[in-house]
Amino acid sequence: MAESPARTAFAEEALTHLDTLYRGALRLTRDPDQAQDLVQEAYLRALRYQHSYQQGTNMRAWLFAIMRNLFWDRFKGSRKEDVSLDDVGEFVLYEKLRDEGAKPEADVLDKLAASEVVSAVEKLPPLHREVVLLVDVEGFSYKDAADTLGVPIGTVMSRLHRARQQLQKSLYDYALESGIVRGNGMMGPTQVPQQ
Amino acid sequence: MKCKECEDKLDRYVDRELNDTEALEVQLHLEGCPECMDHYDFQAHLKRVVRHSCDCDTAPVAFREKLRQILS
Repeated sequence: MAESPARTAFAEEALTHLDTLYRGALRLTRDPDQAQDLVQEAYLRALRYQHSYQQGTNMRAWLFAIMRNLFWDRFKGSRKEDVSLDDVGEFVLYEKLRDEGAKPEADVLDKLAASEVVSAVEKLPPLHREVVLLVDVEGFSYKDAADTLGVPIGTVMSRLHRARQQLQKSLYDYALESGIVRGNGMMGPTQVPQQ
Repeated sequence: MKCKECEDKLDRYVDRELNDTEALEVQLHLEGCPECMDHYDFQAHLKRVVRHSCDCDTAPVAFREKLRQILS
């Protein structure tokens, strides 16, 4: 059956956002096969409901919303894990490192393995993880993130705040375990002392 | 602006979510306060580290082609 040019054009435009959707699905499901299933289903649903997409609006956000809604439909049983975000209090990695004398503080960030940063993101409960994915990884504005998630901007900000605190705590714990920093201050053995 | 107020607005400054007036106030404070500037640099660096660690995954080529065929 020949497809209409409009449908083909819509599909082509939608596919320009594939990497964003795939990354998001991969981080949410933590499984490449499930991520592909989720993304494929999201694209099929998007095509089915393309009449509800308003030309000129943010297609990337619209597609992401479809994908994450499917994720929650599939995994809604795991929603309860979202109440279990550890209460790390006001954890600010910069202040922690500064108080321990790890100067310059940013050097610690350069020593973190990318896989450990991904792991720290994936450890966040999904409701908090998706805000970090949208704002920090994909560069969404708070408003676009709020529209995508169907929550007020204030909710985006509070989830982002808590997620970042947890993330920084996880990165600090990793830096301690791997010897990048020592708990009682300064740098670990892999660092070259400043001249 | 006091350091505490700057600190409270730092995340939104890094995220470019402050209005022009607020952003200018933070910028002026940062230019005159090495400690807050240091903190800002760290937070901006942290955001880049998170982004670059997570955005290197791209959809497999075979999956992209499969989708293209399904959708066309």
